[in-house]
Amino acid sequence: MSLTDDRAALDQWYTLGALRDFPVGAETPSRLLGEDLTVRRLSDGVEVRAAGRTLPVRTDYGHLWTSFGTPEHALFALPESQEPDRRWIHCGPVRVRASGLRLVENFLDLAHFPYVHTDILGSEAHPEVAKYEVEQRRDVDELWATKCEFYQPKAAAASDEGQISKYMYRVVSPFNVMLYKTPPTAPDRWDVIALFVQPLDEAVSVAHAFMLVIDETSTDAELSAFQQMIFVQDKIVLENQRPSLLPLQPGRETPTRADLSSVLYRRWLKEKQLRFGTEPRTDLQSTDLPNA
Amino acid sequence: MADWIPIALGRDVPDGVTRAVIVDGREVMIWRGEDGVAHVWEDRCPHRGMRLSLGFVRSNALNCLYHGWQYGAGANCLRIPAHPDLTVPPTIRANAYAAAETGGMVWMSADGASPAPLLPEATPVISLAIEAAPERVLAALGSSTAHPIAALPGAAGLLQLGWHRVHAAKTMLHATGTGADIAAATAQLRALRQNLEQGAAA
Amino acid sequence: MPKLYDYVLSGSCYKVRLLLGMLGIAHETQAVDFFPGREHKRPEFLALNPLGQLPVLEDDGLVLRDAQAILCHLANKHDTSGNWLPRDDRFGPVMLWLSFAGGELMAISGARMIAMLNYPGDLVALQAKARTALRLLDDHLADRAQAGGLWLVGPTPTIADIATFPYVALSHDAGIGHEDYPAINLWQRQVRKLPGFVGMPGVPDYF
Repeated sequence: MSLTDDRAALDQWYTLGALRDFPVGAETPSRLLGEDLTVRRLSDGVEVRAAGRTLPVRTDYGHLWTSFGTPEHALFALPESQEPDRRWIHCGPVRVRASGLRLVENFLDLAHFPYVHTDILGSEAHPEVAKYEVEQRRDVDELWATKCEFYQPKAAAASDEGQISKYMYRVVSPFNVMLYKTPPTAPDRWDVIALFVQPLDEAVSVAHAFMLVIDETSTDAELSAFQQMIFVQDKIVLENQRPSLLPLQPGRETPTRADLSSVLYRRWLKEKQLRFGTEPRTDLQSTDLPNA
Repeated sequence: MADWIPIALGRDVPDGVTRAVIVDGREVMIWRGEDGVAHVWEDRCPHRGMRLSLGFVRSNALNCLYHGWQYGAGANCLRIPAHPDLTVPPTIRANAYAAAETGGMVWMSADGASPAPLLPEATPVISLAIEAAPERVLAALGSSTAHPIAALPGAAGLLQLGWHRVHAAKTMLHATGTGADIAAATAQLRALRQNLEQGAAA
Repeated sequence: MPKLYDYVLSGSCYKVRLLLGMLGIAHETQAVDFFPGREHKRPEFLALNPLGQLPVLEDDGLVLRDAQAILCHLANKHDTSGNWLPRDDRFGPVMLWLSFAGGELMAISGARMIAMLNYPGDLVALQAKARTALRLLDDHLADRAQAGGLWLVGPTPTIADIATFPYVALSHDAGIGHEDYPAINLWQRQVRKLPGFVGMPGVPDYF
C-alpha cells in the first residue's frame, strides 16, 4: 500500500508518538496513511521526511505531529496542558489491526463499559446509557458530547469505590479524540484522557493514549497500567469488528440512542468526504464519490 | 457455497459454547443453547459488527461481548442493555443460516432450500484442519468435492468424513465412525494430514 | 504475604495471577512499568531478577523468577489438595507441559510483542512456530477429550493448565485465531469456569 490520495485524510495533523520516544541524534522509521516516514530528532528540532520531501512538524503537548497536506485548522487547543498540577502520562503506543476510525468511535462509546471493562468502568447491573447531548461546534470544527453519566465501579487508578462518573467527549479531528471525566479525588476538575490515533494503513493503527490527570497518590506506573489495561480490553473488540473499516453506508450497522455521538461522528466524516479507513460504499453513484 | 455443509462435530460444541468457523472464507459461528439446539449464524453482530463467536450464551440466548445485545434462538434481538426499557424492533436481527445436526455433525446451509441430509448416529472421532486444498484432501480419501461426506473403510472401522472448505488451501475434516477404533482412526487421519501437508510443501 | 511484581498486559504474570486467584492466596502486587517505561531493565529491578524479566515473586524472603517456577512454588506451599502439583505419576507430564508453556508456546508471546508493541523480530516465523505449538496442544487435548478427560494431565486441573492457558487465550493478539483448534476451544472454556478464575485485558470476563 502507498500513500493515500484521500485529500480529507491528507490535510490533517497526526501524531507519530511521544517526543521522548524519538531520541536526539537517532533516526526512527515510522509510517502514516500508507507511506513510510523517517523521523530525525536533532538537537534543535525534528525533521520528518517521506519519499524525498520534508513534512511540516509540530511538537505540541509532548507529542510529535506531522501532516502530508495542508491542514485547514491549526492543531487543537489543549488548555489543561498549561495547568502546573497535572500529571502528564504517556501510556505507550499500541498497534491495533483495525481502522483508526473504529478506535475513535469505540473511545466515544459508553454502552460497552459493563461488558468490555467489567467491574472497572461499568457493571452488568448498571448498563443503561442515559440521554446525553451532542453538538458540532462549527467555529472550531469539533464534535462534543456532553452531560454523559455512567455508573463506574472503579473509574480511575485512584478509585476506592464506585461513583457516577461525568464525562465529556471531544473529537478534534477524524483521528484525534479526548474525554474529560471527573477525577475521584478532585470532583471540581476534569481529568483529560486523549487517544491520538496514528493510522499506518487503512486497517492498521497505532493508538497513543495520553493523560493529563489530577492524582497525587498513584505512581506513573499505576496510572499508565490502568489506562493500558482499559485500552487493551478494547483491543480485542476492535480487532474483531467486521468489517475492519468503518462502514458509512446507511443500513450496514444498527445505531441506537446510546450511539448518538457515533452517529454524529459518522455524519461529520461523510461531510468531510473522508475515505481513508472507511468501507468502500456501494450506494453512491460514481459522480457522488468523494474525490472521484 | 454448496447446499448443506458439515462444519463441526456436534461434540465439540456442547451446551452453552460458541465456536468460530471459517467456511469458504466466510466467518460463521456456532452456538448451542442450554436446550441443546445448535445455531449457525454469520459471525457478526448487526449493531457494530462485532464477531458473535466472542459472545456468551445464557440459557437459550446469545449475547454479544461488545454491548451485551441479546439474541434469541430465532436470531431476533431480545434486549439492548443500554436501553433496558426499550422494546426492541423485530427488524434488529442477527443473520442466521439454516442449521441442522445429523450423523454427529453440525451442518449449515446458506438458504435451507433443500432439506438437510439424514445420517445415522455415529461416534464422534475428531475434527482436524489440514493445510491442503479440499480437492487434494478428498482425492486422497478416494472421493471428490462433489460429495459432502466421504466414507473411509479401513482397519480402524468405517469412518464417515464430513469436510468443509476453509479457503482454497485449507480443509477441515470432521470424522465420525461406526464400530471404529477411535484412537486408531485418529492416528490414521493425522498420518493423512501429515502426508498431505508434506506433499503441499514439496 | 507474597508479593508479585506484576505487569497487567504480561501473559506470564497472568499465569501467576490465575493461580493466586484459584488458590485464594492473599498477596500484594507491585505494578512494574514494563511498557513503555522499561522499568524491568532498571538497576532496582535487575537486583531482583538479573534476567530483567517478569514476573518476580517475593515470599518470606525467597525471591523467585520464572512463571513456571513460581507456579510450582505456590502450589507446593499453598495447595492443600495436592492436585495442582501432583506428586504421583502425573508429576512428569505436568512438568512436560510446564516446560512447553515456558518454551515452545512462548512463540505466541514473541509474536504478540511484535504485533502489538512493535518490538523487533520476525513475526511470520514466530506465528508459524506458534501454530505448530497450538496444533500439538490441540492434538493432545483431542486425545484427552476422546478418553473423557477435560484437563492436560489427569482428572483435575493442574498448574500445567494454568501455565498453558494465558498465551493460548492471548494468541489473537499475535494474529492467530482458534478456528483450527476445536479441542483448545473447549478446554479454554473449562479453564474459564474454574472457581477463582480471573480475566485479563485480551481475555474477556464473559465467555
